[in-house]
Amino acid sequence: MKAAKFKYVAPRSLEEALGHLGSDPDAKVLSGGQSLMPLLAMRLAAPSVLVDLQHVPGLNAIEDIDNAVRIGARVTHRAVEHSELVARRVPILSLAARHIAHPQIRSRGTFGGSTAHADPSGEWPTVLLAVGATMHLQGAAGRRDVHADDFFVGPFTSSMEPAEILTQVSVPATWDRWSFQEAAVKAGDYGLALVAAVASVENDTITDARVSVGAAVGSVTRLREVEQLLIGAAPDLNTAERAARVATDSVKPISDIHGSSDYRRNLVGSLVKRAIVELKNGA
Amino acid sequence: MSATPQERLEVSISINGRRYKAPVEARKTLADFIREDAHLTGTKLGCEHGVCGSCTVLIDDAPARSCLTLAAQADGHRVRTVESLTEGQELNGLQRAFREQHGLQCGFCTAGFLMTATALLEENPTPTRDDIVETVSGSLCRCTGYQTIIAAIEQAAAEGAADTQKHDEQEGDVL
Repeated sequence: MKAAKFKYVAPRSLEEALGHLGSDPDAKVLSGGQSLMPLLAMRLAAPSVLVDLQHVPGLNAIEDIDNAVRIGARVTHRAVEHSELVARRVPILSLAARHIAHPQIRSRGTFGGSTAHADPSGEWPTVLLAVGATMHLQGAAGRRDVHADDFFVGPFTSSMEPAEILTQVSVPATWDRWSFQEAAVKAGDYGLALVAAVASVENDTITDARVSVGAAVGSVTRLREVEQLLIGAAPDLNTAERAARVATDSVKPISDIHGSSDYRRNLVGSLVKRAIVELKNGA
Repeated sequence: MSATPQERLEVSISINGRRYKAPVEARKTLADFIREDAHLTGTKLGCEHGVCGSCTVLIDDAPARSCLTLAAQADGHRVRTVESLTEGQELNGLQRAFREQHGLQCGFCTAGFLMTATALLEENPTPTRDDIVETVSGSLCRCTGYQTIIAAIEQAAAEGAADTQKHDEQEGDVL
């Protein structure tokens, strides 16, 4: 037991949970705890109250809605990984889920928890930015929806208010092609670089595309220069190689003990190339 | 508002089929509850922040790090620890395979590997070598180099399949 003292409560409704968050500015939401518990153990976080969402109803479903798959905040990584609906409609999530830590973490960690944590090396933030997901937030004053472009605003920082709860995420199922690439020193480690790419393709021409990078940069970031190059181009090897060069030139990676900025710059280029090759093959 | 945040609370957790109730601090981990309150010391604590996998137990049949779960979060849930694998001195098939394949040396990580492998074999009695490697990648062992652990789980899987077949045959005999 290494955490500083805190109080714990497991409310039975969303309203009750919001009440606890609203009445104490240092209260924090506890979902699966797989990111929060290490922070508590190392005393990098010292909340006054943990509001456990496990008994709050309505946060556990994966639903097929018109043009999207809506995933509840308390759905585990493992449930996403094994969901037939996800694999069929938004396969990039199935691809990315396998890269999240280890089975023992995926059985407890949750989709909403990782998304709200906004870890720049997180698989979900990288993927949700690429696909253009919509986050559904609930506050005391009501619901609001935030697009991924406006949600991930910095490292470990989202545009959520302290007294808001992420309840669901809608992942658009309208893209034709998907790819997720990750380079890590060993399986399950935090990635050195993550790349997620999606595209719409008509008559062998890319009509729309979004590409994001995680881990190699300070916070998850769209590679807009790469997106501009892709739109109007054919999904082929030549495009992939040009995209890789643009990515290498435009990305501004971090340097740390795990990899220098130059190393990560080349890594991002390689992953972008692989991602576009997979788009070419309709993966 | 029905519940008030508490710094100490009473939890009730089913561990290996037996119910353990105790007042605990909110910050107490499930791992510490298992060792200090239930006095089941087979579960080992290595890093205490989710990296090493030594403290892996089954929560509602899914493998989980007991150092990354609060005792309070496990209130009302079912937990299985390494002590559930056998009664008395007899090893179960998986444990026997670990011994025969030299799947341990110092033994500190072993309870975590056994529970992780138990979850794998319950979900998928015929795992591929890749399935096994993926599963054990979540635990650190500094002695064995992992090959003998993988061999032990492969042996247990092969023998488990044989057991099932034998069981089926016996049922056939009864009919």
